[in-house]
Amino acid sequence: MESDSALSDALLRQLIAVGQADILVGLPTLNNAATVVDVVRAVHGCFTRDFPRLRTVLINSDAGSTDGTPDLIRNASFTDAGMVQTSHALRTIHRVVAPYHGLPGKLTALRTVFAAGELMQAKVIVVLDPGGPATIAERVTELIVPIARAEVEFLAPRYRRHPRDGVLITQLVRPLVRALYGVALDEPLGAEFACSGRFSSHCLEQDIWSHEAARFAIDLWLRTEALAKRFVVGQLWRPAITTAGARTTLREAVRQVVLSLVESLRAHESYWLKADGVAELRNWGTDPVVLPDAATWDYQALGEQARHDLLEIKPLLEEVLEPDLCARLMDDGPGVSARLDDELWVRSVYAFAIATRLGRTSIEHLADMFAPIYMWRASAFMSHTASDTPAIMQEKLNSLCETFLRLKPALVARWSVDM
Amino acid sequence: MIQEIANALVESWRNFATAFVLFVPRLVAATIIFAGGFFVALLVRRAIQRFLAWLGADRVSLRIGASEMLRQADMPTAEALIAKIVFWIVWIGFIVSAVDTLQFEPFQGLVAEFFRFVPRFLLALLVLALGFLVGNFLWRATLLASVNAGLPGARMLSGALRVLVIAIGIVMALEQLGLATAVVLTAFAIAFGALMLGLAIAFGLGGRDAAKQLIEQQLHAKRERDADAAPHL
Repeated sequence: MESDSALSDALLRQLIAVGQADILVGLPTLNNAATVVDVVRAVHGCFTRDFPRLRTVLINSDAGSTDGTPDLIRNASFTDAGMVQTSHALRTIHRVVAPYHGLPGKLTALRTVFAAGELMQAKVIVVLDPGGPATIAERVTELIVPIARAEVEFLAPRYRRHPRDGVLITQLVRPLVRALYGVALDEPLGAEFACSGRFSSHCLEQDIWSHEAARFAIDLWLRTEALAKRFVVGQLWRPAITTAGARTTLREAVRQVVLSLVESLRAHESYWLKADGVAELRNWGTDPVVLPDAATWDYQALGEQARHDLLEIKPLLEEVLEPDLCARLMDDGPGVSARLDDELWVRSVYAFAIATRLGRTSIEHLADMFAPIYMWRASAFMSHTASDTPAIMQEKLNSLCETFLRLKPALVARWSVDM
Repeated sequence: MIQEIANALVESWRNFATAFVLFVPRLVAATIIFAGGFFVALLVRRAIQRFLAWLGADRVSLRIGASEMLRQADMPTAEALIAKIVFWIVWIGFIVSAVDTLQFEPFQGLVAEFFRFVPRFLLALLVLALGFLVGNFLWRATLLASVNAGLPGARMLSGALRVLVIAIGIVMALEQLGLATAVVLTAFAIAFGALMLGLAIAFGLGGRDAAKQLIEQQLHAKRERDADAAPHL
């Protein structure tokens, strides 16, 4: 039923013509003309070279690109003109290009891919980021192999990042997911992943697809769902991703991340309230070791802006934070030398989590109120680690994870109180 | 002469006695209604409070922000407040009935008047509560939106909007009660008009250059504020 409703008639017709598939690679796109041809060639190279005996299909789920992305995929030659093909697939390699119906966004694209996977009884489902690192066949193959060998049911990418990079991940998402779900998952928000057909069918049965917040919460939800429902989860080292060209502003990104976290916390409370400790995940691939350069940005200006915004919304913060916490937050901040130490930051994060549980204020308003606190924390962290080596910074990030874990019992206690 | 005085006294006494005999049962009835009404109102109050607790009214009140507002105004919880209002309406209804039982000329028709007033009163309370709720919600939303957009004086803007919405709620509630309608509406219209005119003149004439500068700064600041999320993701 899920498969039927998620697939348009035209797509259904194409999929029926293809029949069953062992490996399905999904490629959600939106104006990715610059990079998508390389990714399509990489996928084809992977199918031809590494899985010649398997039934394979590439499905492009396009959100309505205006730069000709679907045409580029449809017409892309399988190889570079100058490249000699040394192996050939024994089966037909199918390529399905279809715009999806429903609300625009990755959520609908993923649902289409999952539904197609279920219909075609695919054992391996891989979702690629058209702007990501899968531009050579090896990068696609390494995502497929652990799932095809049934060693793992959900494979999440991990990247070697500079400790100054991805501040929203390292200051909030990673330590929070690690502390609550009890698993050392590096990249809870990554765009790429691979999973088993069993996991994708399980996801299709959940009611996440109709949730408004799931439009941007789906990447996090998939990972936390795999953890919470005890699917075997692993990580795969991937080349560093470029941080240039994010399609959103910082405030919007914070808002989306907060809404995503709330969606997952609510969906999996029975799991994370009982989860204890932090388990390591099995890793595939090779750690690149070499640190990429950190992106530079004006954290002092961000701190000043955050301070101003915090003072403006003080009456709202007083409704969410405990009086002593709010007072410390307000006293602690002003100026470039703002501290906002780990404990204060973690207590603030947990206070907002509790506020979403209490329901006094709408989640959207809470997300907006949280943005200046994050901005301040990001600025404070960058400012106080300005002269630190990457190794020392990494230690501080690890220490932050410990603080999230140490203070978790207080969150669990308050969350568990029947409101 | 004496006989006439005596007759008058007797007549007067008889009238008094007759009136007294007629009045005492009414007084007793009124007292019973008054006291009984008190106990009935108390029972209704408790029942309402328990019913609201069973319905989870406090949770709803928390959700819509009414609890916080009541706390700031040193008022009881929403459950207790609603129960208290119902208690007074019920008891006042009994008091009015008791007074009516006494059949005092000036209070004739009081019961009918009271029962005509109660729906208007309840509607006025509802309008007032909605005014506070909408005012509170708009205050929060405007404050956050203004801060996110980098507008100067976000607190003043959102606070003014809240005061305006609550003032409109109060005026509408008073109009519902029929209390000095003309005076209240006229005063409100004059005050609101004067405020808007004053702002228009101040912003459009007195601060034209400042306004231009402010808007330019805002556009510039907006571009700066909308920092790219890339280094954070």
